[in-house]
Order: sequence, then structure tokens, then C-alpha cells
Amino acid sequence: MKNKFIHKSILFICIAIVTSIQSQSLLDKLDKEFSNIVFDEIATFKTTRLGLMHSIETRKKGALQLSLYFRYWDTPNATGQKFLADEVSTRYGLEYAFSDNFTFGLGYTNFDKIADGFLKYRLLKQKNKDKKGWFSLTLVQTLSHRKVENTSGNLYQPSTSSEDIYAFVTQALFARKFNPNLSIQIAPTFIHRASNSNSNDANNQFAIGFGGRHKITKHISLVSEYNYVVNPVKSFDTYNTFMIGVNWEVSDLMLQFHLTNARNFAEDTFLTQTTNNFNFKDPNLHFGVNATYIIHTKKKKIR
Amino acid sequence: MNKILLFLFLSFFMADLSSAQNQQIARQGQVSFFSYTSVENIEANNNQVLSIIDYSKSKIAVSMLMRAFVFKKDLMYEHFNESYIESDLYPKANFEGTIIDFDENLASQTKIIKGQLSIHGVTKDIEIKTNIQKNKGNYTLDGEFDVLVKDFKINIPPILASNIAKTIAIKFRFQYQPYEE
Repeated sequence: MKNKFIHKSILFICIAIVTSIQSQSLLDKLDKEFSNIVFDEIATFKTTRLGLMHSIETRKKGALQLSLYFRYWDTPNATGQKFLADEVSTRYGLEYAFSDNFTFGLGYTNFDKIADGFLKYRLLKQKNKDKKGWFSLTLVQTLSHRKVENTSGNLYQPSTSSEDIYAFVTQALFARKFNPNLSIQIAPTFIHRASNSNSNDANNQFAIGFGGRHKITKHISLVSEYNYVVNPVKSFDTYNTFMIGVNWEVSDLMLQFHLTNARNFAEDTFLTQTTNNFNFKDPNLHFGVNATYIIHTKKKKIR
Repeated sequence: MNKILLFLFLSFFMADLSSAQNQQIARQGQVSFFSYTSVENIEANNNQVLSIIDYSKSKIAVSMLMRAFVFKKDLMYEHFNESYIESDLYPKANFEGTIIDFDENLASQTKIIKGQLSIHGVTKDIEIKTNIQKNKGNYTLDGEFDVLVKDFKINIPPILASNIAKTIAIKFRFQYQPYEE
């Protein structure tokens, strides 16, 4: 009797197993084949800049990126009757991606007359499966150059000499896309100036940048960043930089609008030499527009 | 009793085996889509589409990863995945259907496949005219059909409406071989 019960139960289990195998649909079979495919996470940020600082993103091989960055601000008690803003600073920029991971860029800013160049390399990429890669890491090395003219001598025999000032910034950008909408970036930064106008100021400075974006719609996202300087210069008062803004993506064109206290575009200057705090008084509030256009010089072949 | 059990078990096992024998799989199926507008032409190709047919039951299933589509421009790839198809949320497109009046012995036939197509989390009933070839026992399916972008709740902002066609043409070609797990 007991034996019969065992037999019956075995029979039942057999039927259950067999029917469960047969009820597996064709789509379930296909699902199994996809389970091990790993992809790089894309579009942690939409552009190569958060607003002020670099983002981990680089363009893909053969992409040429043209960029115009504008910063507008009002001077206090301005006598001029300018339309919209009293002052404007423009950075003309060009970036070329030699490979999917390596980008070279150049820029010139007309207001502070700083020429800058940078190399950017994507070292690690976040994967869609957490165990394989938890975050992305991009290294940035910049070089900036400006000429400072010193006037010496007396009123009747003025002599001007110019001095080349170089500054270097090394940044490690760590970023993670937490979900399709939210990405966070942290950027430890080292700034080195080859020469200083004031000998009391340190030539080497450290800073750390925090930034994030949150997508509001599929094409519009909210971005913000804050850059904290660990050892600010002593010869004059400086402030940490803050930016809040909106990114809007229109096909090949990216528009970034932001409010910030940073006036300069080159990393070494805006990080360490921003003399305005973030508030709505003139001339502290700066309105920025970054326009970035991408041209694909190499197109992929589709079979 | 033991013999009966063994027989039952074997018969079920055989039944399952025979169902697997009636199945063929395509691991490198091709699916491409085209959007033609006066502003720009967008085309993309996916060479890693999976499909399986059960020819004794006239059933077919297709599955593909949206991230595996290749575009001419990388920005198109990013926009497609990020802003339109949202491959983070909906990584796959699937199709499951039945071949109407399928005759597994014909070398060449054109039949309607009726089934459900799921893209971007939206499932729609669809009928696809398909050419079915049989060569040395292996099937090859190919065909073409159109889908409407708005049927799958893919939003195109008005400013870009002229860049993306309202109707997307889809082409496919699957070459099958016997399925082994």
C-alpha cells in the first residue's frame, strides 16, 4: 500500500516535470540565450561637459565637436545701456575623437584670453551588469596658456614685458548612472600653476568636484555641480563654484543653459580664481549657454 | 507497476525529445529598419537576432536586443537607445506567432504569420507576409513589413518630427538550423 503511494507520487512528479518542460514557450528558450550578454552603459551624461567641468563622456571615433560657450553677466552700476547683458565671454572650442575612448580638444576664450587644450581618456566603463563594472572612470589632462603684460619703467619711458603663464589640471572623473534618469559624478582634481603672480600662493592646489544630472523628459535634463577647493589661494578671496542648469538635446545639437558664479572657462582659472559668490547680485550671477554641435566625419558601415 | 512507470516516463521523455527535434533556431538572424524622410535617412541593422520555429506546430518566436542595432552615426545609436526605444527599460523586442496554413514539406511558400509584436513595452497584433524556403531540411524565412511609430508609444518631440518617419519599414531574414539545447 505504501509502495503504491510512492509510485503514484513519483508518477505525479514525473508528469509535473515533463509538462513544465513542455509548457516552456519558444520565447523562454530564446531568453536563456541572451542572459550572458554584457553592454557598456551609454549616455551617463549627454554631452562631454556637465556645464563647467568635463563629464566622463567622450565622442565616438571620428566625431568632430564644435562648441561655443557663452557666459553673460551684468556689471554693477553700469553706465552703458547694453541689451540683455553688460559683458560676455565666449569660448570657441573644437574636439576630435581619435578613438571611442580618446579625445583631443582645443579652445580659446576671448574675455580672459586663455588658450586651452586637453586630452581625455576613458579608462573604465560602467557595464549594464553591476558585477562586471560598477562605475566609469575618465582621465582628463588640461593645459592652459595666457599672456600677462607687465608695464614697468616711468611715465616717459614705459617698457612692457610679457610673461607666459602655464597651468595644468589633472582630473579623474568617476561617474555612475544609477538609473536611466540619475547620474552622479565625482572628480578629484589636481591643479598646478607653473608660475604665480603672488609668491604666497601655492603653486599646487587640490579640488574636488561633485556633479549630477536628472532627466526630466527624454530630451531635457536638470544638471548641477559644485567644485570645492581644498587649499584656496591666500592673496585674494575666492569662492567655490556652483552651477545649476538645464540641458536640452536637439538631434545633433546640444544646448546647455545654466546659472553660475564662474566667469572663466579654463579649469584652472574657474576652479581656483572665481572671485564671486553664487547669488543674484551684480556682477555675481552669470548666465551661461553652451552650444555643442557634432559632425560625424566617419560613418559606420551597415551590412 | 514499475514497468508502467518506466514506460510512462520514457514516453513523456520521448515526446519532449521529439518536440525539440521539430524545432529549428536562427542565432544570427538579421533585422533592419529604415526611416526615410526628406531631412535625413536613418537605417539600422541587427545581425544577432534570435528566432526559433517549431514546424510541427507552425509556431515561431523572435527575440532581439535593441542595443545590438548598428547605426551609421553613433549619435543616432545613442538617441535611439536613450530617448526613443529606452533600451534600459525595454531591452528587447519580441515576436511570437503562428504561421497560417503552413506546410512543412513545401520547398517554397509564401504565408501569413499572425502574432504579437512587442516593442518598447507595447504589444500589438500583427500579420506579416513571409517567404519560407526549405533547403536540405533547413528553413529560411524572410520578409518585409511596416510599423507605425505611434503604435508603440514612442514619442518624437515636435521639433524633430520631420527627421523621423511616421512609418518604419522593417526587413528580416532568418536562416535556421536544427535546435540543440
